[in-house]
Amino acid sequence: MKEYGGEVFDLGYQHYEGPREGRMRARKALWINGMRTAIGLGRGTRAKLLPALLFLIVIMTAVIISLTAAAADVGEEFANHADFYRIISVVLLIFSAIIAPELLCPDRRDGVIFLYLVRPLTTTDYIIGRWLAFFTVTFALIIIGQVILFAGLTLAVDEPFEYLKANWLDVPRFLCAGIIIAAFTTTLPLAVSAFTTRKSFAASFVIGLFFITAIIAGIMTECDYSYDSDSESFDYGSNQQVCEPITGDAGKWLGLLDIGEISDHVTDLIMDDENESQVAKQVSQLPAVVPILWYLIMTVGPGLILLHRYRRLTA
Amino acid sequence: MPPLLEAKGLTKRYGTTIALESVDFEVHEGITGLLGHNGAGKSTAIKLFLGILQPTSGSAEVMGQKAHESVEVRDRLGYMPEHDCLPINPTASEFLTHMAQVSGLPPSFARTRAADVLRHVGLAEERYRPLGDFSTGMKQRVKLAQALVHDPAIALLDEATSGLDPAGREEMLDLIRRTGKEFGISILLSSHLMGDIERTCDRIIVLDGGHIGEIGEVSHFTAETQNIIIEVDRNIDDFVTVLTQKNIRAAIEGPLIVVELEREEQYDIIRDAVVDTDARLRRLTPRRHGLADIFRGAHQ
Repeated sequence: MKEYGGEVFDLGYQHYEGPREGRMRARKALWINGMRTAIGLGRGTRAKLLPALLFLIVIMTAVIISLTAAAADVGEEFANHADFYRIISVVLLIFSAIIAPELLCPDRRDGVIFLYLVRPLTTTDYIIGRWLAFFTVTFALIIIGQVILFAGLTLAVDEPFEYLKANWLDVPRFLCAGIIIAAFTTTLPLAVSAFTTRKSFAASFVIGLFFITAIIAGIMTECDYSYDSDSESFDYGSNQQVCEPITGDAGKWLGLLDIGEISDHVTDLIMDDENESQVAKQVSQLPAVVPILWYLIMTVGPGLILLHRYRRLTA
Repeated sequence: MPPLLEAKGLTKRYGTTIALESVDFEVHEGITGLLGHNGAGKSTAIKLFLGILQPTSGSAEVMGQKAHESVEVRDRLGYMPEHDCLPINPTASEFLTHMAQVSGLPPSFARTRAADVLRHVGLAEERYRPLGDFSTGMKQRVKLAQALVHDPAIALLDEATSGLDPAGREEMLDLIRRTGKEFGISILLSSHLMGDIERTCDRIIVLDGGHIGEIGEVSHFTAETQNIIIEVDRNIDDFVTVLTQKNIRAAIEGPLIVVELEREEQYDIIRDAVVDTDARLRRLTPRRHGLADIFRGAHQ
């Protein structure tokens, strides 16, 4: 009978002779790692729970709107794509405030950042990699809901093809608006996260910033019901009540203080939709270029602060 | 072929503080020690070669390329920092695979390299455990592994034995020696511990206050001197008195007696003195220079 046998050889240390893909591979690895971190992959169950829950809420919101529109046969009168953004804005706020610090704070707290920066990566590569990772996940969160909603609204009507022909422009609009919202909700929380190694501090600061500025802007644009002048006032709403802000003409500008609505002002322009909130109504009286410029300042500005902060940290 | 690392008139100032002043040296293949007190400029020199810092003047070159001008050259450099640098959540395998990819290796190759290197540093069994569960010694091994995972031409190790107990220190020094001798990866080992450098390195660069103190082969610095060391169990004073009476220069240094060897017959005189004073000889050996001596010399 033939005996089978084998020998185990210890080849010792073998030098690597495979391909080296340099900086592009490094950037890609950072991007993929950032996305995995954002959705909790490679981490414990708790880390996966929140992103999964938020994704579920967004999807369920889109499904419920679609089903309601179909059941009541009201189509977009019930809720359109712009309304959907407003409905999920709280979910987006929580998502960006809690998840963004996960991408930056632990790297600095644990010192891993120094291992990245001695590899074929610059500080700019690192920041762009992390920003892109979080942008991708946020954009996916927003767009998945919009796609479901679009499909739902299409199927909710009697003649889906007619609906598609009439509303196909909604697709580039909600894609464009999604990019605008995702860029803003990615940049600001990441910039805040660059100033602390404590994730909870960064998350609390971002949530606080959104709520406090919303309250301040709300108060500043609140209607002055004692105002009685037909010539300078404007009316809106079903009750035709005349509303002049307590801050007068400055109310239009003070409405810009609401950080949570900065991207909404721009997306309303893109979606060609009227926002019913008091702050939005005030801001809509300004020339369109003002909210666009304000959006750019509040997105590019934190982006530059983020980059500057990291260049100083690692110098 | 250019040296692996080369400092040419390398100067680094932080405001008015001088970290390095017109330093020139080369690092070739093998294990080189960078010895100096805290604040001597060791970590600054390493960061200049890694391209993290920009020199005030002069240049830090890696394989012929200026470090701060070439990001790409870093894929042939490994770095093990002194401070903590490991995340808590990922397993050793996941972390090393990721670090290999960040060094430019494709994913499939990165996974294989991570497994190989973890085996070489003795963590094959623990590779699927989260890094947060690792002991200090195991973390030091992971830090070394991440510096080697992309098979660098040279690894820069900053205070590699920091925080380790004596047994862990021995194992780490052995691993560094193997990396340099068996793996063929050159090492620049920065340390303020003379013992670590003496036992691990082939060459030594002594930095002192931002200047070069000494450069040379470790064997040169640890060569035999013309002195012998004697250790006796008792009657040390009587023993030295007898030697002095016989015209032998002897000095007590702690528990040891240092004798200047001038002629071979002195060994017979020492033997007789031991017998006459009943001193009980414990040790008699030629004295070698220690790195402590050159450290002291550089500092003076």
